[in-house]
Formats: sequence, structure tokens, C-alpha cells
Amino acid sequence: MAINDKHIDAILETYPAKVKRNRKKHILIKDSAQAHQEIEANTRTIPGIITNRGCAYAGCKGVVLGPIKDMVHITHGPIGCGYYSWLTRRNKAKTPEGGQNFLSYCVSTDMQESDIVFGGEKKLARMIDEVMDIFKPNAVTVSATCPVGLIGDDIGAVAKAAQEKHGIPVLSFNCEGYKGVSQSAGHHIANNGIMDKIIGQGELIETPACYSINFLGEYNIGGDSWEIHRVLEDIGYHVVSVLTGDGSYETIKNAHVADLNLVQCHRSINYIADMLEKKYGTPWLKVNFIGVTSTIESLRNMALYFGDKDLIRRTEEVIARELARIEPVLDQYKKICEGKTAFCFVGGSRGHHYQGLFAELGIETVLAGYEFAHRDDYEGREVIPAIKTDADSKNIPDLHVEPDRKYFKLKLSPEKAEELKKRIPLSNYPGMIANMKDGHIITDDLNHYETEEFIKLLKPDIFASGIKDKFIPQKMGIPSKQLHSYDYSGPYAGFGGAVKFAEDIAMAFTSPTWNFISTPWKDKPLLEGAMQKEGH
Amino acid sequence: MERQTGFARNAAENPCNMCMPMGGIIPFKGVEKSMVILHGSQGCATYMRRHMAEHFNEPIDVASSSLNEKGTIYGGEKNLKLGLDNLIKLYNPGVIGILTTCLAETIGEDIDRIASEYLLDRGLNDVSLVTVPVPGYGGSHSEGYWMATRSIIARLSREAPANRRINVIVPHISPADIREIKRILQLMRIEYTIFPDFSDTLDSPFTMPYKKIPIGGTGIEEIAEMSGAAATIQMGVTASREISPGHYLQDTYGVPLYNMPIPIGLENTDKLFAVLKQVTGKDMPESIFSERGRLLDGMVDSHKYNAAGRSAIFGDPELVLAIAGVCRENGITPVVVATGSKSFMAAEAIKSSAAVDVPEQSLLAGTDFARIREHCREKSVNIAIGHSDGRYLTEKEGIPLVRVGFPIHDRMGGQRLLSVGYTGTMTFLDRITNTLLEEKHKNYRHGIFDKFYTGKMA
Ligand code: SF4
Ligand code: SF4
Repeated sequence: MAINDKHIDAILETYPAKVKRNRKKHILIKDSAQAHQEIEANTRTIPGIITNRGCAYAGCKGVVLGPIKDMVHITHGPIGCGYYSWLTRRNKAKTPEGGQNFLSYCVSTDMQESDIVFGGEKKLARMIDEVMDIFKPNAVTVSATCPVGLIGDDIGAVAKAAQEKHGIPVLSFNCEGYKGVSQSAGHHIANNGIMDKIIGQGELIETPACYSINFLGEYNIGGDSWEIHRVLEDIGYHVVSVLTGDGSYETIKNAHVADLNLVQCHRSINYIADMLEKKYGTPWLKVNFIGVTSTIESLRNMALYFGDKDLIRRTEEVIARELARIEPVLDQYKKICEGKTAFCFVGGSRGHHYQGLFAELGIETVLAGYEFAHRDDYEGREVIPAIKTDADSKNIPDLHVEPDRKYFKLKLSPEKAEELKKRIPLSNYPGMIANMKDGHIITDDLNHYETEEFIKLLKPDIFASGIKDKFIPQKMGIPSKQLHSYDYSGPYAGFGGAVKFAEDIAMAFTSPTWNFISTPWKDKPLLEGAMQKEGH
Repeated sequence: MERQTGFARNAAENPCNMCMPMGGIIPFKGVEKSMVILHGSQGCATYMRRHMAEHFNEPIDVASSSLNEKGTIYGGEKNLKLGLDNLIKLYNPGVIGILTTCLAETIGEDIDRIASEYLLDRGLNDVSLVTVPVPGYGGSHSEGYWMATRSIIARLSREAPANRRINVIVPHISPADIREIKRILQLMRIEYTIFPDFSDTLDSPFTMPYKKIPIGGTGIEEIAEMSGAAATIQMGVTASREISPGHYLQDTYGVPLYNMPIPIGLENTDKLFAVLKQVTGKDMPESIFSERGRLLDGMVDSHKYNAAGRSAIFGDPELVLAIAGVCRENGITPVVVATGSKSFMAAEAIKSSAAVDVPEQSLLAGTDFARIREHCREKSVNIAIGHSDGRYLTEKEGIPLVRVGFPIHDRMGGQRLLSVGYTGTMTFLDRITNTLLEEKHKNYRHGIFDKFYTGKMA
């Protein structure tokens, strides 16, 4: 069915006029006849709408800092915020031999009414002492929740004093939930802190091995990063650090020595990618290890970047070997999935990344969107200069970096960089819209009402989303795939992950359970044959 | 007996409770055609929905006024009113709960004033707004639950002619538990108002088409008339008087209150039937008497296995108290009894209950899992009973966990766990006994061999 503006208007009609005008700017129908399509994103959430967005604290402590395993992450605030961000993302981590891993701990100052009245700085300081005593971590982070900023606790000063007292890094993050308009603000705050206080603190002066890379914006949900590592190491790359899935203070502090930075999730980590380039001369490459084609393309682009014959040969060998292994298996699943359609509404990059993997299974993504992305994640980075910073974004300061006197090293000559940029997404992300087909819908900050309406309109066969929205399609008789934490499954990245994903999706379609449920638009009278016979 | 109710440490390491608004949302899900909006920044609502969805496996629609930095300076009134506009337009609810969060309370928002102004201003008379001040730092989700339950009654009830119904006020038990209590009341042909009734809304049958506000919940009219009921049976002895809905009905409308523990366990269920007899004059039906007999028979069958149990119980105070009773009745020693709630009343109720008076027992209020773990080690606990966060005890100490309560996020079916009444108690006890048996069989041959043959084990 060709979708046009009228269909969208019909959905938005229910809203009060102002809300309708607002939401309309967040919804697009892809039309390649237009020179450029603009979407509104990263603006204030409409109150009272059941949004799926979270807060700055969730983006900072929950997403970016949380997975760093050898730091204790303290939540300074009342108990709820800390509790709710306790290991809920399924970011996996291995404890290295003799190393530290505190991921299973949730540590909060559990502020009480009296702390709100009299301030919580002393409690926080005592708590850091206790944490030192109990865990002896390599480093500590302190993340503020809403009330902290309001009562004016100076967590920066407490952290500084603790750092001097204990002789380990104590980082503080003013990521109060009300800052910005979503998790996104928190990503930025966390990026600034990691850049300022961790990267470059390591003792390494140059890379310990050739083809060394940092892997940015990969959080090892369900073991994704391990599957990618397997292939990267096989080809001959040396992974200096991962930010931040299964990452550690001990490795991230040496991120300055890598030859190249890979960016998986552009939204949550592009600030660091940019700053690493300015400060250390290391360019970044947008990769996508979700889906077979994208994985292959990413590997080839990496090899092109280094331009080494042996590396290119080895890359092709590994690709051929992996393909031979997985293609026959994928084909089986493809038979089940072929011709189906999907919605793909996820956080800030997966809404785009998974479309390729769906396509490989023969599934078309007819609606896609992000919870908390910015315009550049939709339209590509070239729009960045045109984005107006509003009051909400302005309160997250940009960290100003300059070339580092000691460690700055241009990894590519400007000429070489220009030449490469024509062939690979070097320090560039073209965004989601470019990848979508005409007539398909792009929507920002989808809410529960629109979810239901769009399902009725487009009748997808599967809905890829988060845990809060996944029960709506299921109640409507449509399978869902949770793409934030994978419904206790994964890994879905890389070659092996594609197979796992295909298996899970095919299973969603073939489960006999659905035979007992008739989706209204698929209703066929079950007893047709018998009835006719009787009639004759 | 060791009793620790203070909190010496500054750290809450692996908390055993959530914050007040989380508990406050749940009773609203037990009111017909109702919605909730949290006044604050949107993160709280998103987090709580996420956790509830994971436990109940249902869509959980909770709105937020989505305050941002500007709102923290100039107040959030405009956002809240806009939020209400949108919520009403899209969901058309009969009742809206307006709950505060840490942010709204810290900046001192007067939600009562905003709510009444809003109704006047928009000329609305077909929707009721129930305000509940629940700062996250003010207490745990357990207290939040009672506060919201009481606020709903206080706002919706009005002077009503005396009627024959009895009020049954339930704490945060599972939808299956609520259904079981309803079955019992229906079997006895008792007219009742059960509140909050989230037995259908938070465990809704698969039906098409999808409904934005699930069908079910206590009717708004029914709540209004709770004031005229013959009596209130409240399963809430750990709720302090100021937040107890049963006390509100008693103090305001003179409805006699029978406050009792959750009917889990033989004694507690007997209590329920005794109270029902007292209030309605009706005897236990024959069929339920058989259920009781079956429970007794089952208790006898499994007593020798249960005798080996040394349990750690944790969670909502009300549930903890009832579970401790089940343990005691069956020879399982509740050596660690813990709740994350810091409520003095809850601690006192648990402390004074003979059901948990066990020598060398650790009684922990306002506690976290780090301390529960220490006490489990000290007291050689071999079975943990409580919500999913206790899996940490399994991971770190190898103590098996019988899941019950909220939240259950790492297994399916938390909403369907049945533990109340004689039949519910039986299924609950079986889960406990079988967990003990499974543990025993895991190590049995090994252990016996070492103990009796090699003499290695003292
Ligand atoms: S503790 Fe306060 S800020 Fe945190 S989630 Fe609960 S209400 Fe929100
Ligand atoms: S919005 Fe504020 S109070 Fe709520 S979860 Fe986020 S940091 Fe905590």
C-alpha cells in the first residue's frame, strides 16, 4: 500500500492541534525525488505522551559509563534511579585474570529526605570511602540524579577531594535527569568526562602492535562485541580498547595510541570520536557490524584504511571462510522470512543498523525510527552545521580539545584522508534516511499511541523495539523482537550473530503459538472447507 | 536474637527496594479506566514502566510531565497541565493519578493546587484527578503503594448509604492472588469490593482488538461506596496508620476495620475465614474445607524435607511477614528476615509478630543485599525466598531462590504466581519444598559418602 500524507494526518488528527503540528515534523515518508528531507529530532518530548525516551542519567550512567567493568559506578541520589539502572541492559563482561569486574553491583547513596534538606555531599564522601574500602576499584564514577543538581551538591568538589585522599581517579558527572531532552544529553556528558579524565592517562606512548583500533559505541549486549572481536583478531587487528562494552579503565586510558577508531553507535559516542581526531590525530570510521553485508563492508573499509596488501588478503580470506560457513544456514531461515515486513524503532543507531540484516532475510523495513537520535543520525553529518542548538542542548557544555602536545600524531596525510573519504565513511556518517526505500516511513520519538496506529495502518509482520513497547504489538497478534537487550538472546552482531538473529526471527514466525491467534487483517474463516461441504 | 533496624553504612549496595512512585503506580492500575502521570523528568516514568513491563509482560502506559531544566527553575505547572490535556485526549481516562517524583518534590510543586485549578480551568467533570505526593527519597515502593491506595479512596469515596458489601483491601500481591481471593469470596456468595483490583489489567487475557486502557479494575462507583460498607478487611498490618487506607475508611466513615496479614499459610488463611465469619456470619464452604484438608495433608507429606530449611526472606514487608509464617508452620527456620523498607511501622510489625520470633534470627529493615548476603553466610541459609534480585545470593553464595513477589524479571510468570488461600499456599509450599529437595539431591550422594564413608565431613 502506498502511504501518503493523508494517512499520516489521519493518525495525527486525534492530537490537540499544537501537538499535531509538532509531531508532524517528526514523521517523514521517504521520497528520493526531493533533494533533501528534513526531520525534527532531539527536541523536547511532549508531556503526557507515552514516549519511550529516558533521561540524561540513563544515557550517562546507564549506557556509556555502566559497562566499564573495573570502575565502581556510584549513583548519587535517591534509591530509585540507581536501582532501575542496575544491570538492565545485558552488557556482558568477562573478568580478566587478576582483574576487576563490578558490573553486578548497584551502588547508590540512597538519599533520604534529610539529605535533600541538608545536602548530600558528606554522605557521598563517606560513601566513596566505603567503596574504596570494600571494592578497592581502579577508579570510581559518581553520577548525579535529578535532586542533586537542584539542592546544589557540588559533586565535582567531593570527587576531587576523594581522588586526592585515595589516590585513584574519581570522576563526577552532572547528568541530572532533567538535562537535555533524553538519554542523548547523558551520552554527551559521559563522553566529555571519559575524554577529559580517562583517555590519555595511560602509560603507552605508541601502539604496541600494528593495525591497532579502538572500538567505540559498542556495548557488548548479549555478547555482540565478542563475536566481532573474534573476527577482528583473526584478521590481525589489535583492539586497544572498547568503549564501553566489556571495557575497562585500564584499557580505555590508553585509547590515545590506536591507529583508527571504529564507530558502531554514532549517536552515543560521536563526541569522543570527534575529539580523538582533534586531540590525537586519529580518524574514525563508521562501521556497522549488524548484518552480513554491512559487516563485510566494514571489514573491507578497515582494510582499505590501512591499505596493506596482506591485511586486505587476510580480510578476504576470513570473509570467504565465514560466508561459506553461514550462508547455507541463513538460506534456510530466509525461506521462512522472505516477503515479510518489519518496523524497526530502537534507540539511536539500531533503528538503522538492523535494516540491512532484515533485508538479508528478505524482510523489508517499512517503518524505522530512533528514540533519542539527532538530525545527523537521520540525515547525515553534513547537516550538523545547520542544526540550531536550543536551550536544552546548550546546557551540556562542549568540551574544547586541542592537539595534544605529547601524543598528537597525524595517522593519515590530509591528501590520503581526502582520497579515502571518497570511498569509505571516514569521519562521516550518512545517516538512516539515505538507506531507506521510497514510500517507507521514518519517525522520531514514536509513542505508544502512534505505535498502535502505525501497526493498524501498515500491518507489519514483526516489530523490532524495546521492552516497553514490545507488548503492544504482541497484544495485537504480531511478534516482537526486543532490540535493546535482545529478549535474553544474542549475540546478533557479526557473522555468527546474523545466524543467531535469523534463527530467532524465523522462530518468531514459525512458532505454532501464532496459529491460535488470528490477527484481524489475516482473518480467514477456519472452517471454510467443512462449511461448504455441509452446504452442498 | 539479632535485630538490626538502623542503617550504619552510607552505601546502599545492591538495593532491596525501589522508590515510592513505583509502588504508587500499581494501585492506579487496579482502578477502572485509570491512567497515571508522573510529575518530574521523564526518566523516572520510563524506568518504572520498563520494570513493570518486564514483570507483568503487559504494556504499561504511564505518562510523564517531561520536565526539563527550564521547568526546574520556573516550575512545572505548564508541563503538567499540557501533559494532562494530551493524556485525556488520547486515553480518555475516568481517573488520573498525578504522582510526584523527587524532582517535583524538591522544587516544591503544589500538585493539589495545580490539579484543582486544572479541572476548573478546563471545565472538566468527567475525570477525577487523584494527587499523591511520593518523592522517591521519601520511602520505598512499599509505602508508595499504600499511600496511593489510601489517596485514591480518600479522593473518590464519598458519604454513601450503608450497604451489605465488605471492602477487601489488598497489598501488592500477584494478579493471580487477587483472582484467588475473589474466587473465595464468590464461592461464599459474599458481596464485596476488592481494591485495588489489578488482576485483569496487569495480567490481561489475550483478546482482540487491543485496548489502550486494559479492561478491569475496581469500578469508580464501587470505590466511591466503600464508605458505606459493612466492614473493611485489609491485608496490611505493616502499613502505618497515616498511610493505611483501611484506617482512613474507619476514621472518616466509621467502617469497622479488620486488619490482617496476607492469607498465605494455614494460620493466616484460617484468620481470613474467621474474619469473614465474624463479618458475614458465613461458614467456610465444604469445598474450601477440603482445600484446607489437602493443604494439611501436603504439609504432613513434606514436613521432613522442610525441616532442613534455613530460609532468608526478603521483599515487601507485608509479604515477608506472611512468608515467615509459612516457613514457621512448616519447620523451615526463617533465620534472615529482611526488607528494604525503612518504615518504622513495617519493622515493628515484623518484629512483634510471633510468627518470626526465632532464636538467633537476623531481622533487617532498610537493608540492602550486601547485608542480607553477610547474614545469609553467618546463619548458614540454604534457601532464599523473595523477588528476582535475590538471584545475587544464588550467584555469589550458591543459595537457591524461590521467586515470589515483585519484581520477577528473570523468569516468566511473576504475575501468575499463586500463593494465597489454602490452595495457593500449597502450590507455594511445594515450590519451596521442591527447591530444598533439588538442592539436597544435587549434593546428596557426594555428601553422604563423605560424611559416613570417608569421614571427611565432620
Ligand atoms: S528515586 Fe526519585 S528520581 Fe529516582 S526514579 Fe525514583 S522518583 Fe525518580
Ligand atoms: S529523571 Fe531524574 S530522578 Fe528520574 S530516573 Fe532520571 S535521574 Fe532519576
